Amino acid sequence: MGYDIQTWVNVAAYMGGALAMGFGAMGAAIGEGYTAAEANAAISRSPRATGEIFKSMLVGQAVAESASIFALVVAMILLFMNFSAQSYLTVATVFAAGLCMGLGAIGSGIGSGFPAGAACTGMSRQPGMSNRLTTNMLIGSAVCQTPSIFALVTSFILLFTNFSDRPISPTWAALLGAGLASGLGAIGSGLGGGLVAQASCEGVSRQPESVTPVTNIMLLGQAVTQTTAIYGLLVSFILMFKSFEATDALSPCAALIGAGLCMGIGAIGPGIGEGFTAQSAVAGIARNRSAISELTRLMLVGQAVAESTGIYSLVISLILIFVV
Amino acid sequence: MEELGKVYQLIIPVFGYNMTLNLDAILMTWLVIMVLIIFGFFAARKKSVLPGPIQIMGELVVSQIYNLVEDAMDKERAEKYGPLICALFMFLLLSNWIGMFPHLHEPTKDLNTPLSLGIMGFCIAHYAGIKSKGFKKYAAEYFEPIFLMMPLNVIGELAKIVSISFRLFGNIMGGSIIILVVSYLTYSVILPPFLNAFFGIFVGAIQAFVFTMLTLVYISVQIK
Repeated sequence: MGYDIQTWVNVAAYMGGALAMGFGAMGAAIGEGYTAAEANAAISRSPRATGEIFKSMLVGQAVAESASIFALVVAMILLFMNFSAQSYLTVATVFAAGLCMGLGAIGSGIGSGFPAGAACTGMSRQPGMSNRLTTNMLIGSAVCQTPSIFALVTSFILLFTNFSDRPISPTWAALLGAGLASGLGAIGSGLGGGLVAQASCEGVSRQPESVTPVTNIMLLGQAVTQTTAIYGLLVSFILMFKSFEATDALSPCAALIGAGLCMGIGAIGPGIGEGFTAQSAVAGIARNRSAISELTRLMLVGQAVAESTGIYSLVISLILIFVV
Repeated sequence: MEELGKVYQLIIPVFGYNMTLNLDAILMTWLVIMVLIIFGFFAARKKSVLPGPIQIMGELVVSQIYNLVEDAMDKERAEKYGPLICALFMFLLLSNWIGMFPHLHEPTKDLNTPLSLGIMGFCIAHYAGIKSKGFKKYAAEYFEPIFLMMPLNVIGELAKIVSISFRLFGNIMGGSIIILVVSYLTYSVILPPFLNAFFGIFVGAIQAFVFTMLTLVYISVQIK
């Protein structure tokens, strides 16, 4: 360990940048590939709408790409900004920021591909609806990006806030945990939100006159799907802004990293599951508009039950932070 | 970058405790309220069959939101809760948009505003639930499916406040942090207007709508 702080900061910044871009490239590529596949199938079905479908594929892929552009921005900042090394905490912040943004970009990248693919398929079915479909797709994929925006916010706060007056020993663990909670927590919700938006694009192409209720319920379903990502954001805010007492023991550090991991991993499942619920509720409303109030109620109750495991994770990670 | 996380505070000591007032949020909230009152005054001042431009805008917002409320609950209750939902939406929309003007900040960027609106919605929803179902039936719902689930059901209800308020707060504050950091990195060239359009107009409108819809849905789920 003969190196000075600056060396370690640089090591962590390069590692963080690499992880940010490596993980961040994964999701968007899968989503874009899915979009392109759907666009190909759509063109084979109705070759006359090729121009519309091609345009919509490019727009959809551009939106799906934005999550990995966030990751690129964070990676560039990590590589080219000279972080002045005030304490060993900078090592933790730069590494956590990279990890957080990289993991956080996976879900939204894959998720945004689904509505874009459904919009392409929809255009082959109803070429006259292409404007409505594009608007609906853009709203759906923009909301789908919200979890990755939460991850971006967490990594910006980690990078640009001065933590150097905190005690090193438990704070490094808290910052690492904060990155993990937001980053891992964004995966499930991004994916689930994409499923909901996919159903709404399909619904609009099947039943063009029910565009308003379908979009409304899509927004509601996506909002509830994001709940566990919001718990992840909450846990990272607590971990970043609560001041912990200095300690030499290893167990409080483990508890803080554990809190981040617990909330982050625990948020993946509920995000995807709630996405499935809202997906079929939206599809149902597109088919049968008169059942909108029953379907909405059932969707919310089902999502609340699916979310209960996320609440268990929240309870355990709050216990790890405040009690243990 | 010092602006990140800077809050203007007025600290008043009360009986050994410090009462902290976030001046920015309070002033901006008052500004939003005043603009809405002026808008309401002009929209309803000369009501006529051939409406003027401001009256049309008011009618558009009010009638759209009334339709949403009527979809979620019956007609009698819609008349009772419609004004609340409508006011909530207009307040949130203007609050999220006000940050686009220089030197003004979104009051929703401060966690206290979304949190208090969330608690307000929570209290109204549970009041409506107790009133329509009676206290016994309302309380019995917490012991479903088995008795042991009671603490988790209560935490689940309280977590709704956290999720609804942090969703708005995270989006609006996240947008403003991203705009601040990107403007700083690019020396405010080219990008900031587009970012303002996306995070200010688009995300602001969607999040205002989502918050309103969720409050409405919480009330209507409690009623039935």
